[in-house]
Formats: sequence, C-alpha cells, structure tokens
Amino acid sequence: MTQDSRFTFVKVDESASEHIAAPQYSYWKSVFRRFFSSKVAIFMLVLIIVIILMAIIHPMISGYDNLNMENINDPTSRFLRPSLEHLFGTDSVGRDQFNAVWSGTRTSLFASFAATAVTTIIGVIVGMFWGFSKRLDVIMIEIYNVIANIPYTLVCMLIMYTFGAGLVQLIFAMSCTTWISTAYFIRVQVMIIRDRDYNLASRCLGTPMSKMITHNILPYLISVIMTSISRDVPSFISSEVFLSYLGVGLGQSYASLGRLVQDAVKYIQSAPYLLIFPLVVAASISVSLYIVGQTLADASDPRTHMI
Amino acid sequence: MVSTNNEKEVLLSVKHLEVTFYNKKRRFRAVKNANFDIYKGETFALVGESGSGKTTIGRSIIRLNHTSDGDILYKGKKINGKLSKEDEKEVVRNIQMIFQDPAASLNERATIDYCVSEGLYNFHLYESEEDRLQKVDQALESVGLLPEHKSRYPHEFSGGQRQRIGIARAMVMEPELIIADEPISALDVSIRAQVLNLMNKFKEERGLTYLFIAHDLSVVRYFSDRIAVIHKGRIVELAPTEELFAFPLHPYTLSLLQAVPMPDPRIEKSKELVIYDESKRDLSGEKPILQEIRPGHFVFANDREMKEYREKLQEMIEFKKEHPNA
Amino acid sequence: MAENKDIILSVKDLEVKFKVRDRVLTAIRNISMDFEKGQVVAIVGESGSGKSVFTKTFTGMLDSNGKVTNGEIWFEGQNLCEIKKESDWEKIRGRKIATVFQDPMTSLNPVRTIGYQISEVIIKHQGKSKEEAKKEAISLMERVGIYNAAQRYDEYPFMYSGGMRQRIVIAIALACRPEILICDEPTTALDVTIQAQIIHLIKDLAKEYGFTTIYITHDLGVVANVADRVAVMYAGQIIEYGLVEEIFYDPKHPYTWGLLSSLPQLGEKGNELFAIRGTPPSLFEKVIGDAFAPRSDYAMQIDFEEEPPFFEVSPTHFAKTWLLDPRAPKVEAPATIRNLHDKMVRLTAKGGIYGEH
Repeated sequence: MTQDSRFTFVKVDESASEHIAAPQYSYWKSVFRRFFSSKVAIFMLVLIIVIILMAIIHPMISGYDNLNMENINDPTSRFLRPSLEHLFGTDSVGRDQFNAVWSGTRTSLFASFAATAVTTIIGVIVGMFWGFSKRLDVIMIEIYNVIANIPYTLVCMLIMYTFGAGLVQLIFAMSCTTWISTAYFIRVQVMIIRDRDYNLASRCLGTPMSKMITHNILPYLISVIMTSISRDVPSFISSEVFLSYLGVGLGQSYASLGRLVQDAVKYIQSAPYLLIFPLVVAASISVSLYIVGQTLADASDPRTHMI
Repeated sequence: MVSTNNEKEVLLSVKHLEVTFYNKKRRFRAVKNANFDIYKGETFALVGESGSGKTTIGRSIIRLNHTSDGDILYKGKKINGKLSKEDEKEVVRNIQMIFQDPAASLNERATIDYCVSEGLYNFHLYESEEDRLQKVDQALESVGLLPEHKSRYPHEFSGGQRQRIGIARAMVMEPELIIADEPISALDVSIRAQVLNLMNKFKEERGLTYLFIAHDLSVVRYFSDRIAVIHKGRIVELAPTEELFAFPLHPYTLSLLQAVPMPDPRIEKSKELVIYDESKRDLSGEKPILQEIRPGHFVFANDREMKEYREKLQEMIEFKKEHPNA
Repeated sequence: MAENKDIILSVKDLEVKFKVRDRVLTAIRNISMDFEKGQVVAIVGESGSGKSVFTKTFTGMLDSNGKVTNGEIWFEGQNLCEIKKESDWEKIRGRKIATVFQDPMTSLNPVRTIGYQISEVIIKHQGKSKEEAKKEAISLMERVGIYNAAQRYDEYPFMYSGGMRQRIVIAIALACRPEILICDEPTTALDVTIQAQIIHLIKDLAKEYGFTTIYITHDLGVVANVADRVAVMYAGQIIEYGLVEEIFYDPKHPYTWGLLSSLPQLGEKGNELFAIRGTPPSLFEKVIGDAFAPRSDYAMQIDFEEEPPFFEVSPTHFAKTWLLDPRAPKVEAPATIRNLHDKMVRLTAKGGIYGEH
C-alpha cells in the first residue's frame, strides 16, 4: 500500500478558530427585524400611522373650528345621518362630524402623547435615582404610598377645577401623579440589574454613576420603557375621554374625542352614529398603539433576537 | 520558599477583617477575624465553599463590600472604609478583578471595544483616539483575540472568549493586584487551561500578584503559591501549597481535599466518602485561634487541638521519610 | 455499537436541528448509540457539544425551536421520535425516563410543600392512597438522606439548601420507579463536599433500584467516579466511546487526549498547562471532515476532507478519528497522559490524602 498523501499531518492556523462566522449583530436591526416579523403589528402600525396622519393633515384642510356654529339655526343641516357629503353625519348644531372627529383626534392624541412624554421622562429619571439610592428609597416609598392611594380621577378633577379647563391644564392634571408609578416600575427594574456582575465590574473599573446609568442601565431598560409607554398612551386617551365626559376636560374651543363622546351621549337614542365614530377612533388608537408598543417592547428585548 | 517571608514585600495585608451583613434585624457575620498577607508577585489562593466568605473578602478588598471592622492595607495604606476621591481612584487603578461568570460580567449592550476601553475612558489613560484603539487591539491580542472582534457584542462569543475579554478589560488598566474570583469554574474543561496559562503569562510578564478565589483545590495546587482554606467566614488553615497538600491538618481541609473528584477511575472507585460535620467534632477547650504550627503553616486551633495536630504532623513526616516515593 | 447484551435504549442516526435567528443550527449530527441496562453511562462534553440536547430528545423536552430531523430512538419497542402528542410523552417522561437537572428549583414548585410534591407523584404514578403515599414519600425522603423526614415533610423548597433540594428532586424522580434516570449536571451548582454526597447517593440508588443512569457532566473527576462507560461528545457527535478505564487509560481520539492533558491536576508548577487552543466550531455551518481538526495537533489532510468513521479499538471501545486508520502514521498519546493512574496515585499519595497516615 502506497503512502496516502491525505494521511500526513498538516499545520493548522492557530487563530482560525477564533473567527466569528456569524454576520455582524446590530441591536436596532434585530429589533426591527423582530418587529416586522409580526403581521398583526405591521397592520396596527399602518393603522396608527393613518390615524395620526389624518389627525394632522385633515384639520389643516378642513379648517374645522369647534366654535363655528353657523348652521345652528338651519334645521336641514342638523342631525344629518352619515352620507357621502357628511361621512360621519352632523351634530346638534350642524357641525360636520368627520371634520370634528379628526380635529378631536388631534387634540386627544396630542394630550395623551404629551402626558406620556412627561410621565415617562420624569418617571425614568426619578426611577433611576430611586433604584440606585437606598436613602432616597426610604423617602420615595412613603411618597409613593401616599400618591398611589389617592384616586387618580379625584386628583385630575381637583386640578382641573383649580386651574380651569384647558389643554395644558389637562396634560398637567393627567400626568402629575402618573409619573410616580412609572418611576416605581423603573426603580424595581433598576434594583434587579443594579447588582449584576457587569455593573460590579464597571464599578471596579471606576465608572461613575452617571455613565453607569447611560451605558449600563438605560440600554437594558429600553424594552421595559417601551412597555410602560405602550400602556400609558392608551390609558391617557381613555382618561381624556372620561374626564371630558365628566365635563372637567377641555374648554369649548377644543374638539376632542372625549368632548365628542360627551356631546353624543345625549343623543344616543336618536343619533347613535354621533357616539359610534369617535368611540371607534378612540378604540382603534388604543388597541393599535398598545399592540405596536408591546410588539416593540418584545422586539427590543435582546433575548428574543436569538430565536 | 516556605519561611523566608520577611524578605518579601507585603503588597496587601488583611488584619482582623470582619464583614457583617444586616438583613432586616438579622445579623450575618460573613467574615470573622480574617488575617493574611499577600506578597508581591505571588499567587495567594482563598479556597472554600459557597457561603464561606471567600468572595466577600475579595469584594471587600476591591471596595464592593463594606467592612465592619479591621483593616485592609495596600502597600501599608488603609484602603477600606471612607477614602478620598483620589485614594479611591488609586485603589481602582491598582486592583482589578476577574469575575466568575463570563456571561454575566460583560455589558451585553456594549461592543467589545467599549467593554475593554471602559477603564481607559474613566481614567483617560490614552493620548488620542488612535492610541486608545491601539491599546484595545493590543489587549485583545494579548489574550488571543482578534482586533476585528472590537465591533462585536459579548453574546457572540463563547464562554472562554468572554472570560478572556474580561481579563483584557482588567489588564489594560495595568494593575498590580488582580482578584480572580473563581475565574475558571464557569468555563469548560478544555478552556480552563487556556485561561490559567493566560493568567500565568501575565503574572510572569508583568510581575502581577493574584488573589485567586476558588473552591477547587486541584486547580489551586497548580496555580498558587500559598493557600488559605476558609470555612464559614473563618480561615481554618493557611500554608504554602505543597506544605498544605503534604500535611493537611484541619479536618475541614481534609474533607475538602477528599471531596474533589480525581480524574482517575481506579482511585475514585475505591474512595470512601468523608463528611465534615462540625457538630460532631470535639469543640471542648478554650476558643481556638489561628496559630503557626510549622513555619508558614497556620491552623485554626486551641491548645488541645494543637497538641493533636502536632502528633499527627509528626506521624505524617515520619511516614514520608519511610515512603519517600509513595 | 455493542450488539448483544440487554439494550434498554437504542439511538440510530439521530439528528437534531434548531432554528436560531433565521438560521439553522445542527446540534446533534448523526448519533447512533446503545445504552445497556443497569449501566452508568457518562456523557462528557463541553457546553454546546450537544450533550444536554441529546438526552432531552429521550423525553421530548427539546426547546420549541428545536426538532428531531432524522433518526430513531427505540425504547421498549417504541420509536420515541414518532411521538407527537404531549399526552403520549407524559407516559414516558417522568414515569419511565426521569431527569434530574442542574438547578433543582426548575423541577420544584416553590409554593407547594416538599411532601405534597413527592406524594403527588406517588399517587399519580403508583395509584396509592393519600396515607400510603405520605408514608412512602417519607421513606423516600429518608432514603435520599433527609434527616427527620417526617418533620420536614411539610416544609417548602426555599427552606431547603441547594443540596437538600437536589435530594428531593432525586426522590421525586425515584417515586415513579423510572427505568432510566438522566442526570443532567446534577451537581454543577453545588459545593464539592455536597457534590460528593449526591454522586454517592445516585450510585447507591442505581444499585438498589436497578435503573440505568445517563450522567451528563463536563467534569472528568465526576466521570471517573460514577461511570461504567463514557461517551465523549464534541460538536454534536460522539467521538469516542468506551469503558471508563479505556477512556482514561487508553484514549484514542485527539480531543480526549486534549481533555485529559489539560487537567490542572497534571500541571506542573512553572510549566504551562496543556491547553486545547481555539474554540469549538460553529454548528450553524456544515462541518466538513473531523470537527476537531482545526484545533488538533494531529490534524491530517484527510481530516479536512472526509468525516472519519468509528474505528474499533476493542469490542467495547470505539473512536471516531482517522488516526486509527491503517494508512495513518502511528502516533502515541501525549506523554502528559501516559501512565495517568501512576501520576494520579503519586499526586494523591504525596498529600497523604487517600493513603494511610
């Protein structure tokens, strides 16, 4: 049998086995890949984008003015059922409901986004320090206990009565206590990851607390913050609707989903369409934002990137 | 190397160290009156089981844990308790840590570039961006990784590679003392040797000193110069490595030695199980303390036990004389 | 492998794939292996070698993104790979083939008492009455080494230490009188002294109850202690299989050589330890030839071209390496691991650890 050349020793490149074959990992790319793998989420995203665009663009075209009641004395233009001319019909003073709904959506979306932004920003910042500082924790827990035990609606009503109706007042009223629940939520998350090995390692390397927050803690909380946002926006939408329904929401000059609902309830027997359209829009916003937010929260959790 | 301790420079000295944790109203003494010196350039091993306080000692030295009593002196300067910002920085620069779990000790959301540079950023240990990148590349290469790994994330690496990243991260700081907290116990067997060799390489190249925290005596034997065995927060035996393996005295040391399974089927299959049960020991007599029984060899005992240990030691020495090759 | 004997479980051409991030990972690459009744078989391998995945296929416990894509697993005349329904798996899992995992808390319910959890299994699997079950549960607890079992019957898992919990998990596994007990790194999370006790317990129970043990571990010391036979796994394959003494004293595969050589016990102070260089291959890609070749000191050209078959070393010892091919150059195992036993004896005797003193 002749010597088989395949049976001779060969030299192996030492570093060859250190190479990583997998394509470069990118956090945000993985987030989006994960997000767009859900058909429901895509559908909901499209829906919410359409609603937002309509709410921004339509009022600019229609020039809807909530105080304009020029048709109030014209019985032929009041309580018109939905038709091609008035897609959502007209109300008791003859205002076109299609215009009114989009103008109202704009107000409600703005109010809830603003309130969510306030809640999230204050909540996350406070929650960070709360989670880190044991001394702060003692005080904050007491404050939290007090605030969490006051009924939310009562606080809102009190503030609205004190400062009067208005968009800014509404945003303030809605977000003035909610930030503490966000902060509490963040505090718990911070406490969970605060003493993990990689944070101890950073401390051993002399990393200051501010950098720990921005480099070690915040990136880990993206998914958690997403979850919190996706819960807050819909809940502020319904808060606005509820407060306006109670008559403590916005002033006369604004159309809002809540005011539309409040006006429509009186005519629930004779003109139910007045109630249905704003409610459908409000529900669509809540559901789509919630699902989009939750899917995004899942997608931004790197554990889901493995599968 | 046994008893010429006085000539060596003491790098770190732990004196009457007490660490107590408070949980609600319960008090837990994690470390009880620990005393030892670590000499410059040696590897000092702290061996014990989980909950023995070995990690707590390591973390107290690096200021992650508060001490409740006693002193930790680094080059004669106290480094536990309250320190000025400068002194604290000094400690961080000189003492670094290697963690047990390579999966948990790297920031998963940061690139390897950031992980390795973290210390450099904090102390601004570089002149320019190029200088920093060069330092990172060098550090990666010194642990057998490639510069191209800089843009990767920790989860893309295997356990052994991650541990080497952890070592690189500590090494760029150019520390003098490294606390290695079970650096290989979470690694695969085939990778352990790599990491141990790497640590040895750094020790030789840079004259590093290690505090090696472990539960596995077989690893410690190869790696360390002196060993302290710790049980329930108390150092029960301290001796140079070969001395400890040749003449283990404290019953806990013995049970620990016995428990480690040897990679040899014939030995293992004929081995009998010895269980160390403190409650079954004769604890009469005065309170035990850590005392020197042979030069450099300390054991936690009272006078009565010391007498027993001396007899046992004598027996062992004679046995060795009769069976020099056994 | 061994044809005759009493084969309790037989695996043929098993292949398991996982879908990870839209890519396919082949975790098990064509394993065929027979398990003999009453034996303790240790499966040794690094993380990622597929040792856990391999045994999880016996109980249908693969993660949801994994699938058996080829092969058969024969157990009591049934091909386990054909089981589709969860209810059919339940007849096997726990009842016939029980598993003890690394973390005992994954198998225990934190809000139920220890006693309840054991007796529940006894009632379910043996159809005993509540009183009888309690009695048997207490005797099982005593058997696995829980003192004052009757008192501790009503305690909750968190009141037990890690080692005690693992004993309970073993007791629960035993309550079903399994044919096969899979121990998946049962002592990795425990202290060495506790580990020694648990290993001892498992061996004793295996003798007493006569079940077959499949012991998964990465610790060669543990292997030496428990195993009758050893299967060494690398990159989703078994690369060497034999009696425990054959594997330790006469290994044939370069990977097994590497594993043994890198034992810190064999290291001499001042000298470098032998280290297997590099890292295991990515199983996302197709492995060509011998998966270990890129890390081997004994790699030949053919190792990069063709997968080696199993060569028979002895009727009980097989190795999957081209080095055993008659055409290959003759190589001996590295000097470090020759006379392993003598070296270990010298090591242990020097300390007087096991010797008389």
